[in-house]
Amino acid sequence: QMWQVGKRQASRAFSLYANIDILRPYFDVEPVQVRARLLESMIPVKMINFPQKIAGELYGPLMLVFTLVAILLHGMKTSDTIIREGTLMGTAIGTCFGYWLGVSSFIYFLAYLCNAQITMVQMLSLLGYGLFGHCITLFVTYNIHFHSLFYIFWLSVGGLSTLRMVAVLVSRTVGHTQRLILCGTLAALHMLFLLYLHFAYHKVVEGILDTLEGPNMLPFQRVARDIPVVSNAVLNTTAKAVALTL
Amino acid sequence: MSNFEQFHVDFYQSNYTIDDQEEDCNRYGPNEKLCGRRKSQTGEQPPADAFVPSEMLLTSQSYTGQILQPTYSPNNLSHLSYTDGFDEEPPLLEELGINFEHIWQKTLTVLNPMKPADGSIMNETDLTGPMIFCLALGATLLLAGKVHFGYVYGMSAIGCLAMHALLNLMSIPGVSHGCVASVLGYCLLPMVILSSSALIFSLQGILGTLLALFIIGWCSLSASKIFTSSLAMEGQQLLIAYPCALLYGLFALLTIF
Repeated sequence: QMWQVGKRQASRAFSLYANIDILRPYFDVEPVQVRARLLESMIPVKMINFPQKIAGELYGPLMLVFTLVAILLHGMKTSDTIIREGTLMGTAIGTCFGYWLGVSSFIYFLAYLCNAQITMVQMLSLLGYGLFGHCITLFVTYNIHFHSLFYIFWLSVGGLSTLRMVAVLVSRTVGHTQRLILCGTLAALHMLFLLYLHFAYHKVVEGILDTLEGPNMLPFQRVARDIPVVSNAVLNTTAKAVALTL
Repeated sequence: MSNFEQFHVDFYQSNYTIDDQEEDCNRYGPNEKLCGRRKSQTGEQPPADAFVPSEMLLTSQSYTGQILQPTYSPNNLSHLSYTDGFDEEPPLLEELGINFEHIWQKTLTVLNPMKPADGSIMNETDLTGPMIFCLALGATLLLAGKVHFGYVYGMSAIGCLAMHALLNLMSIPGVSHGCVASVLGYCLLPMVILSSSALIFSLQGILGTLLALFIIGWCSLSASKIFTSSLAMEGQQLLIAYPCALLYGLFALLTIF
């Protein structure tokens, strides 16, 4: 009888493995391909009249999401961020995976409404590779703390990867209104996510106040602070900073 | 029956073959029925209460070269006489499956990532070496004042699950959890070196960061080398090295901060 129980458990485990096997073809890549796709993700395509081919693989995007988690963790650790409810690791993983899966699903839903031709795997892949720009920006700006540098990176690198995603989506959608809705949403979410990651997870609050107040920039003080208090202050000062720079 | 179910650890012994088992089977009084069944090779459906022994038969015949002998003998010979069982018991280490020679060879393989690895050394699931290295990592962290045993345990468990899923998806022959855990645990040895160097000087400066990056590279290079040589995924070593580097980077974060 114990054997029967064991057999049932084994068959349940097997069916679980069978589900994983569905994902197997999406992981069949060579390093050259991954590198080529990473570089391509920063180059916006010019040909938007012809539907662009999107590689539907999941290895690159998954690794990029994990890299983003690692960069976030590193940034949180170097700036002694304290998170009251939850753990550092949990927050980082939740944010990154939540963004990747959530925004992909949302844009896929919008694409379904706007009649764009893109599958879920392709959307996941596209957004995942779009996170490459985020990884580069955050990696550089978490270590070098110049504020204006972050804005330059945000616009250039973030902008490039957004433009690429937008161009690919535009090439797969017909109709001006639909293109506008889809691409506007994606661009807004992508750029705002980078902004959020930079400000919420790294100690630049002191820097913002100093930049606004005077020409002499005081060195950054690493003071442990609670995230909810920080984010309110951050939102206010971000709005002020944006207004000032514009 | 339950002995055989527990006994899925592969111990790479080339001494024992099916012939030895059949030969020694003759010695055991209570199991003459078993031998008779094996030798007769009848195709009829065995009765329900003997179904389990024939399942044992199948599992025993599918393992070529197993220590069926050592666990077999004490349980059955103890019925006969206690003194005989004690003399014929295998040494404790062999029964536990701890083979110091293999552990040492695998450690040397990890310590020298430039040397091409032998793919067959990872056939056995040996968790002793990894346990020693994890405990050593925890101990060196403890010496530095950080009681992070739980973190080490949790991160290694989740890392093993994730690497197992990824390797099963990327390779054609699959891997077992034990093999992945074993390889990842062995390649944790340079991380022990990093955390012991954290006792001598603080790792939070440039030197510490460079040393950490070097050690992460070393760990992930040897892990990916062992994985690719045992799973025949030659061109994908870098693709395997990157997730390993992320995992060991987490351990390095634990060590540095």
